Amino acid sequence: MKMLTTILSLLVFTGILYAQESGFSEIMNIDKVKTELNKLSDNTSTIQSKFIQEKHLSFLTENIISKGEFYFKSPNQLRWEYSEPFEYIIVFNDKNIFIKDEDKISTFDTESNKMFSEISNMMIGTIQGDLFTDSERFDVKYFENTNQYLLELDPKLPEMKSMLKTIKIYIDKSDISVAKIKMIESSDDYTSIDFTNRTLNQPIDNEKFNIK
Amino acid sequence: MKNSISNKILLGSIPPWRRGLGGSKKATYTNPPGPLLQKGGNFLLLISILIVSSCSNPYKNLSKTECSADNIKQIPYALPSSEKTLIYKADISFYKNDISGLLIMKKMDDSIYRIALTTQFGLKIFDFELNHGTLNVKYCAEYLNKRVIINTFQNDFNLLLIQNQVKNIFIIENPERNQKIWQLKSGKLNYNYIQNTDSEKIENISFKKQNSEKISVGLYNYKGNIPGNITLKHHNIKLKMNLKLIQ
Repeated sequence: MKMLTTILSLLVFTGILYAQESGFSEIMNIDKVKTELNKLSDNTSTIQSKFIQEKHLSFLTENIISKGEFYFKSPNQLRWEYSEPFEYIIVFNDKNIFIKDEDKISTFDTESNKMFSEISNMMIGTIQGDLFTDSERFDVKYFENTNQYLLELDPKLPEMKSMLKTIKIYIDKSDISVAKIKMIESSDDYTSIDFTNRTLNQPIDNEKFNIK
Repeated sequence: MKNSISNKILLGSIPPWRRGLGGSKKATYTNPPGPLLQKGGNFLLLISILIVSSCSNPYKNLSKTECSADNIKQIPYALPSSEKTLIYKADISFYKNDISGLLIMKKMDDSIYRIALTTQFGLKIFDFELNHGTLNVKYCAEYLNKRVIINTFQNDFNLLLIQNQVKNIFIIENPERNQKIWQLKSGKLNYNYIQNTDSEKIENISFKKQNSEKISVGLYNYKGNIPGNITLKHHNIKLKMNLKLIQ
């Protein structure tokens, strides 16, 4: 009997440990966190940050690293600029998308391009905090440790589900800003993006959100 | 195995101009000839001789040596044997789709490769395993996950990584154009790896079916033994691939 209890408790505890990111515990009082997180959108008019993107593929021993800079202006302007391994800029400006790839500039609109519209929703939704309140599209779980909140978003819609299993968003408690996003695919391959040198609410020239 | 079965099922539904892309398997016709064909047999034969001989063979008057299929590894082309992970910036245009991202190629074992394409944001577009010439889909975005498209990618990567099953190899010397052509043949299909005798590198690849060019590849700006730029173009479908070496 004692043996059985040990085995059972082992199973239960390892199960819990497995489901939860180490160091983070699940938050039960979600309302309080939600109020906190609303500050994310209410108090943020601009964000400027560097980023490091790591792509993990199960068949590679090393991750693929990309780097660049990121600019956001409330409510819906975003510039995502890669400088490594090559220059590539994508700008979301209201319903327009501009891409600069080497010397080639392409323009799309989110209404006609579903994939870009999803990317735009996800990127801006993460920063604005709309994504976590979108219970139609995501199941959200809240975790925390001393320094960060961790939000785990499981897509509900089949289209999104076929691409991504979970999106993890790490938010620093000190300034309620996104420190890291990890997008995990159904194969467990993932992309993680770390935001460093973040500056909030500093003016950003509108020219940053236009590519000519 | 699975692939060859679906090839057969699909062949009927693929228009004739696309059938050349359905894999390297040769179609066999086992039905006995009907009476019409028997009577007009000589006439048909004459017509086909006329048609075939009217297709010019550019390598006709050049010195041609046959060697055994084991010599395939002597082709001075390091892409299939590189132990390093190769990352190319990829721009693929396929009918009205423009896909851009990173193409990652990794040799896992002899004749086994992983080939993945991700967007700049890191999301996978496809993840294939090329295993002895057969492309297995590990993941593929829905809009590309069609048998005809997968077979096309299978042909392209088999051509780039010299994975086609061949019966004979011929070495053709073309001193006038500073070329040494490694011609890999399998029935009516031939895969030409064209070496520039000055640079010693393979600078062009062409896949021909009955002397009609189906796929052309250009390989430029070599970084060591690895081509820095690869352009691949299909002649009978709107598919182009531009690759630029990053790592």
